[in-house]
Amino acid sequence: MAQQTPQLTRSAPPAPAARTGFGKGLLRRRELSIVLVAIAAFAYFSLGSYGSAFNTTNNYHIIMQYFAPWAIIAAGESMLLICGEIDLSAGFTFSFIPFVFMSFYNQGLDVPLSLVLAVLVAMGIGLVNGVIRTVFNLASFITTLGMGFFLEGMTYIQSGAEPAQPPITGTLGDLLGDWRWSELGWALIIVAVMQAALSYTKYGVYAQAAGGNPLSAAESGIKVNRVKVATFTLTSLFAGLAGLVDQVRVGSFDPTSGGSDMMFMSVAAAVIGGTALLGGSGTVIGALFGAILLAIIKEGFTLSGVSAYAFDVVIGIAVVAAMLLNVYISSLRGRYLR
Amino acid sequence: MSEEETNTPGADVPHQAAAPDENGTGIASGPGGSGPGGSGPGAEALRVEGISKRFGPVTALRDINLHVRAGEVLGLLGDNGAGKSTLIKIITGFHRPDSGRIVIGGEEVSLRSVAHARSLGVETVYQDLALVDELPVYLNFFLNKELTAGPFLRHGAMRRQAVDALAEVGISIPSVGAEVRALSGGQRQAIAVARAVNTAAKVLLLDEPLAAMGAREGGQILRLIDRLRQRGDLAIILIAHNYSQVIDVCDRVNLLQHGEITFDRPTAETSVAELLELVHAEYRMA
Amino acid sequence: MSGSIAGQEFPSAPATAGPEGGSLERRSVLRALGLGGGAALAATALAACGSSRNSSSTGSIGDFPKTSAWKFAFINHVTTNSFFAPTQSGMKDAASLLGLPAPTWTGSENGVVSEMVSAFETAISANVAGIAIPLTDSNAFIAPTKAALAAGIPVIAYNANASGNYALAYVGQDLYQSGYQMGLKIATEVTSGDILVGISQPGSLNVQPRLDGLKAALAAKAPGVTVHTVDTGAAQAGELSAMESAYQGLKAAKGIYAVDAGSTASIAEMISKYGIKGQVHAGGYDLLADSITGVSSGALDFTIDQSAYLQGFLPVLYMFMYRMTGTLVFPPATDTGLTFVTSENVSPYASSKSWIEGGATKALVPMPGSIGLPAPSTVQS
Repeated sequence: MAQQTPQLTRSAPPAPAARTGFGKGLLRRRELSIVLVAIAAFAYFSLGSYGSAFNTTNNYHIIMQYFAPWAIIAAGESMLLICGEIDLSAGFTFSFIPFVFMSFYNQGLDVPLSLVLAVLVAMGIGLVNGVIRTVFNLASFITTLGMGFFLEGMTYIQSGAEPAQPPITGTLGDLLGDWRWSELGWALIIVAVMQAALSYTKYGVYAQAAGGNPLSAAESGIKVNRVKVATFTLTSLFAGLAGLVDQVRVGSFDPTSGGSDMMFMSVAAAVIGGTALLGGSGTVIGALFGAILLAIIKEGFTLSGVSAYAFDVVIGIAVVAAMLLNVYISSLRGRYLR
Repeated sequence: MSEEETNTPGADVPHQAAAPDENGTGIASGPGGSGPGGSGPGAEALRVEGISKRFGPVTALRDINLHVRAGEVLGLLGDNGAGKSTLIKIITGFHRPDSGRIVIGGEEVSLRSVAHARSLGVETVYQDLALVDELPVYLNFFLNKELTAGPFLRHGAMRRQAVDALAEVGISIPSVGAEVRALSGGQRQAIAVARAVNTAAKVLLLDEPLAAMGAREGGQILRLIDRLRQRGDLAIILIAHNYSQVIDVCDRVNLLQHGEITFDRPTAETSVAELLELVHAEYRMA
Repeated sequence: MSGSIAGQEFPSAPATAGPEGGSLERRSVLRALGLGGGAALAATALAACGSSRNSSSTGSIGDFPKTSAWKFAFINHVTTNSFFAPTQSGMKDAASLLGLPAPTWTGSENGVVSEMVSAFETAISANVAGIAIPLTDSNAFIAPTKAALAAGIPVIAYNANASGNYALAYVGQDLYQSGYQMGLKIATEVTSGDILVGISQPGSLNVQPRLDGLKAALAAKAPGVTVHTVDTGAAQAGELSAMESAYQGLKAAKGIYAVDAGSTASIAEMISKYGIKGQVHAGGYDLLADSITGVSSGALDFTIDQSAYLQGFLPVLYMFMYRMTGTLVFPPATDTGLTFVTSENVSPYASSKSWIEGGATKALVPMPGSIGLPAPSTVQS
């Protein structure tokens, strides 16, 4: 038998034959494992005792309500993580921007103009985060933490600590959350655009270089600081958009919305989806599925009636179990592909 | 001066430099390229005169005078902290010198930035290789010089060109789509060198290319450098610590001490022992 | 070699085991299934801990006709806040009295409205038999309430009410009135100067109306008093720090008050800690242990009992009656009361540690020999 001598220096044994191009291509995608885990979680609840209640359009809509804002913000946070940074203020931008909109509106400007101005303010927040980070070389953790507190207080001041009713109606209102699936549309479009940017534009390469090896990137002439500032701006923009759309959907601009929980779930979605916490590589589509997974777990257990005290315990265990599965599938993938 | 046999004292790599055939050009240039691709060093590609650089109270470079021709490999030696990296960074446009002039291809220039130096044909391969581990080989190859169609990257074209460029320099990598972190030190170095060469460089600077590399891979890199030298159109400055390797592959050697070039000799006319003696002399007790 | 078990770590010599290293594959797949299955089992076991899916018998109770095991859902805005522990007891007691499974208790931990909306909609999705919810926002719950009613699910508001909403009834305290009454009481003790008023969730409809009522009463009866609001947040630990900081900043305050349970307990703690009992007037809401201790010791002049227990007990009873009678018994709006607990009537609250007030003892609390006179009745004319 023509047995091959084990070669110490070779890293890859000859690949087994007959693995189709498409199959292997699918296997190569780092998002495969999180997609499989999300499907597993979906199956778990679909086949459980609440399966018939789980598999209704209304229920899917509720799941969407959970993951859509997380996915929108995660589209920015995952790019930031890839750059080697993080934005802890995103959840507070989420709460703040609707009240910025209300300020403009209450001063007599019409809805579209107020929206545009509010969105510009959101971008301005990101710009400030980015500039402080790059010009003063202050770690983004600290910078955005401070910005987060600042925005939290500003939200109370702007809102007078009272919720407000969104005055957005008609087609614009539908686009911005009144039509029940519009928030999903926003999430899908933003995720698609950012993933395309990551995979198919120079910006994506620069972001990975800036996070993976900033010195090498700078030596190659990449303007690392500009890339980071742009990414901070995008993240705050998305956070502000998410805040507007989500709260128009709910029907109330609420100063207690968003907050650190929202930011944390978005970052968790990004990391669970396959973006490295330390930067250099990542995926935006993975973040979308990370958010979907978290939403399925949260909503599924609420549906099956797990009461509040035990709820966090169950969620914690479910998330770790899901992640173990994720890691395991990834390692299987790695072995298959070698 | 007549050509002489190159000294090859106890090298740890098989001696791979070109054989020192007589070429009768009469130019003191050491073992000239005798294989296909040229007949000895050509026109002067880079000259620096009177370069000085201070960082605060520390004077890194005092008065540097150095030149190198196309088709020539210049070895730049010096103790740690002598200022070699600073000099490289000035030539490559990363720092501006406090005084002195830089002449590239016969024209005096004032380098504004790395990109500017690059556009004039000066390329550097740094010690850390300026590679991004998480990116695949072909994206590293085109780092900051990506091929695009509108706003979109042309991944296919970049892959193909990377494969071609690597082959041209005689390097084979199993897959240009593999992440650089999966490659060996020698392969990474080779990619970094090929990338630098690919941009039609006139002057190629290699900062300690053999550092942290085993004997076999080091030999591969030296062979690569020799092939580049034989093309005849590139001036190469090589910083290294292993003097026997320097002797093997360089035509000429400069020694940087006290912020100045204190020694400039064709390698044919010196030896490892002499270089060691020169470097260590200042540490000897009086 | 591919024979030994130990040698199966790496896909060695693939030529021997067929084109795809068959045995390794199967083993890996089985492991993955085992891991996934194990995780699923663990999760199920845990879910079973949390929820009470034990289907109860559907035998009739008392003299009532037989009903199914209706499962009600209580949504809450601060699900882990100890104020609502008696509410949970109340709802479970009522359910057990009526032979129903214990209602679920979900919502938000920090008053986040969108989380409550999601929990509300999930309950509709799960087709529960009835939903009880505090209306802490004027607009967000309107659409879900309509959806629930359209699906035949009764909705009752408890603890917090809002105008323009469509819950069948409100069971709880009249928040504005209670604040107003408290303001009147404060006006009898403090007629000028500064007072601090702690509020856990500014803007939230379960506490903000009390503050509004309080300010209105003071404006009417003691206009010389300046009210300084302190935002204490919904987490009890933070509330103490917030009140302490505020007091440090305004030592000249004549009175320290609060309009929510946690802040009130913090004030009582703080006054004892700083030893300023009697030097400053104080009072607040609800019957957390520290607040009762405060009233007994004199740190607090009063606290207000809004009967958290009844806010859990009555909605279950009302929803049961509504369903059992096919809407013939419509749930009545119920004011669960505004009782000022002062040093005069605090002793049963303090000594019994009854589960009615969130304590651990489920023993019969003896009646006092005589009953003190309540405030005289008033009739609106």
